[in-house]
Amino acid sequence: MENIQFIIIIFFSPLIQGIIKKLKANFQGRVGSSIFQPYYDLMRLFKKEMVVSHVTSWIFRVAPYIVFVSTTMAAIMVPVITTKSTYSITGDIIVLIYVFAIGKFFMALAALDAGTAFGGEGSSREMMVSILVEPMIMLCIFTTAIAAGSTNLAVIAEQHNTILTPSHMLAFFAFMIAIVADTGRIPVDNPDTHLELTMIHEGMLLEYSGRYLALMEWAHYMKQMLLFTIVVDMFFPLGIAYNGGMSEIAVSFAAYGIKMIFLACVMSIVESTRAKLRVFELPSLLGGSFALAVLSLLTLIMIGR
Amino acid sequence: MPENEEYKEVGKSEFRSYCIALCLSKKAVLRLMFATDERETDNCFKIYAVFSEQGTDIFHIPFFKLREDDLTFRSITDGIPAAHWYEREIMDMFGLVPKYHPDPRRLVFHDSFPADSHPLRKDWEISEKDLKEWGEGMVRKVPYDFLEVEGEGVYEIPVGPVHAGIIEPGHFRISAVGETILYLETRMFYTHKGIEKHFEGMSFHEGVKLAERVSGTSTFSHSTAYCMAVERMAGITITEKAKAIRTFLLELERLYNHIGDIGFLCAGTGLTVGNATGSKIKERLLRLNDRLTKSRFLRGINTIGGVTKDIFLHADDISLTIDTVAKEYKGLMKLLLGSVSHIERLENAGILSKNRALKLGVTGIAAKASGIDDDIRSSHPHLIYNKIFEPATFTRQEGDVFARMMARAEETKCSMHMIKTIIEGQHEGDLQVKADDIPPNSHALGYTETPRGSVFYWVKSDGEGRPLRVKLRSPSFCNWPSVPFAIQGNIVPDLPLCNKSFNLSYSGCNM
Repeated sequence: MENIQFIIIIFFSPLIQGIIKKLKANFQGRVGSSIFQPYYDLMRLFKKEMVVSHVTSWIFRVAPYIVFVSTTMAAIMVPVITTKSTYSITGDIIVLIYVFAIGKFFMALAALDAGTAFGGEGSSREMMVSILVEPMIMLCIFTTAIAAGSTNLAVIAEQHNTILTPSHMLAFFAFMIAIVADTGRIPVDNPDTHLELTMIHEGMLLEYSGRYLALMEWAHYMKQMLLFTIVVDMFFPLGIAYNGGMSEIAVSFAAYGIKMIFLACVMSIVESTRAKLRVFELPSLLGGSFALAVLSLLTLIMIGR
Repeated sequence: MPENEEYKEVGKSEFRSYCIALCLSKKAVLRLMFATDERETDNCFKIYAVFSEQGTDIFHIPFFKLREDDLTFRSITDGIPAAHWYEREIMDMFGLVPKYHPDPRRLVFHDSFPADSHPLRKDWEISEKDLKEWGEGMVRKVPYDFLEVEGEGVYEIPVGPVHAGIIEPGHFRISAVGETILYLETRMFYTHKGIEKHFEGMSFHEGVKLAERVSGTSTFSHSTAYCMAVERMAGITITEKAKAIRTFLLELERLYNHIGDIGFLCAGTGLTVGNATGSKIKERLLRLNDRLTKSRFLRGINTIGGVTKDIFLHADDISLTIDTVAKEYKGLMKLLLGSVSHIERLENAGILSKNRALKLGVTGIAAKASGIDDDIRSSHPHLIYNKIFEPATFTRQEGDVFARMMARAEETKCSMHMIKTIIEGQHEGDLQVKADDIPPNSHALGYTETPRGSVFYWVKSDGEGRPLRVKLRSPSFCNWPSVPFAIQGNIVPDLPLCNKSFNLSYSGCNM
């Protein structure tokens, strides 16, 4: 069981996306599409013919696979419902963040490859956001890692009730803002927009179609769920199983589901109550949360909790 | 001939100085400029310019004749920038060339349209071969050169004519450095409908249906202005009741457009709840339209000589719906004005300065937001506006996206008030008066205020009382040239928002 827990991420990530979409629709007073719609979308895209620009190079064609595989690799390293995993020996969180970075790097490169203005814009904006987000994520991780005495996610997850300390609270808020930015949600990016000129993440995917697009989208859903899982592991590990016992895993699975739905609610509330920021206002939002992350580390060092 | 139109023939060489003098001495504003082909009767082309004088209800209409031996005239654009697009349109449609025009490229026609082919001339013909090549758009006969911005780090972003959303076609060529826009050039008229030519083949009565279809969001304003022009030409006075119904429906049209537009701005900033609420209220009003007129977009009501349905029979339904709308609208505005992140995006974005707006002859919401009191309902009162319309006490000065939103909000309040006043009042008379005889060889203007700004129709009948020329000018036509100026200096991701705040129609431009 512990060796195949990453399957949960792969197969449930479109569901989380569907739930967020449904909740957002409800906030707007709409019925919205079914929570299983992302599955249908992926199935449809896998069946569809691909249109690939003839000016693209091999980078454009390998990028979807690299993005998908690197995200799957990250999923393998994360404790989802149990901390006991044979792979978690490599579950170093710093490695994990850079495995994400591989995917992002190739995605940005592929967007430039097709030579369209929108892809280039998407790439340059995504890189700007990444530059601001990455140090923030690292600082939040250091806070939890120092408190747990390890950079291994499984070890961090075993330190439950850490959320109650001031340093973890600060790191939690900073990390949530980082997730909003990294998954391309309002107020940083608008995932539902059709306005080419305002796109960040979607701008990079504009040239993709068919199977490639499906892989990119799926990887994006997985990344979103993975980041949620990391939040849960770092800040709310309560309920996670320490071994492979069936009853413990059942409890852990239920707790995990509740936590995911809770985070999906938080995301949809954030998205429904705010307007998207002007691109050049982003540094002030992300700078603010960077300050939170610094404070959390300082708090931990100064008062020790 | 209607009393508030003063025609004056001037010599071809004096036309420019006459127009400029009019602008300077009487603070007149250029409302429209057009040509007619009167070679059959007067053996000449004529070019008219319609100016409205500030503060009085008078249109000054100087015109001059162009004989076939010299089809060029001195451009007035260098003195009156508002004439810019009109002169280029005349050049394309009639082949009358404005000399010394600062931008002598073609405006309406795209690259595949043959040179020396001018559709609004009476003797226009197009060969089978030309038609085929034009339809396929493969042969570039007259290339159009976009202005190139040079410099280190300057790059071009071509957007459209096919967009990611389901909207009409229009091409934007952006020259930017980083995210900052240095220059924007727009290319419109991808789906030019040839409406003015089409009018010439119909009777004046049939024309009403066509006028209703110029622009989907202001069908009623267009048909009202058209009917008004024909009625003024024929000397028909419609009843008080018909006037009241027209005024009422004009305001209803304004109401649903403004509330929809205010909500739609939220789509530009990503405030999804605001967008959804705006659409909901708009839908409520569209359904009211449907119940009143059997058309969600108020078609089939106007006819020459009056209206076809007595919508005051539904007075209870109207006041009930308007009350609900007023309540929901108040909630929407509270939500929007309370959302700091939304307002922050709107403020200081897409500023159109008052000076530029004046020079370009900008109309409607865009003008009001830039501090210009431009409202044809008060400057040239028609229908029953002289009784119920309280001239805008309110013009914003900033000219930014927020000012345009607030100008809409102010008009919305005003419209709701007028709607109430109209249904509470007594309106006597029949729905229609007889309007069978259209006098030959006469002409007149019709005008009203659409939700976007003023719309003008100028009609002229031939010897048999059929249309010789129908010129229409929608607000989108005179506001589009101002959009690039408002966008200059903004960042690329703010362009859609700025563009939305003008909310101009592509269709209303491609007439």
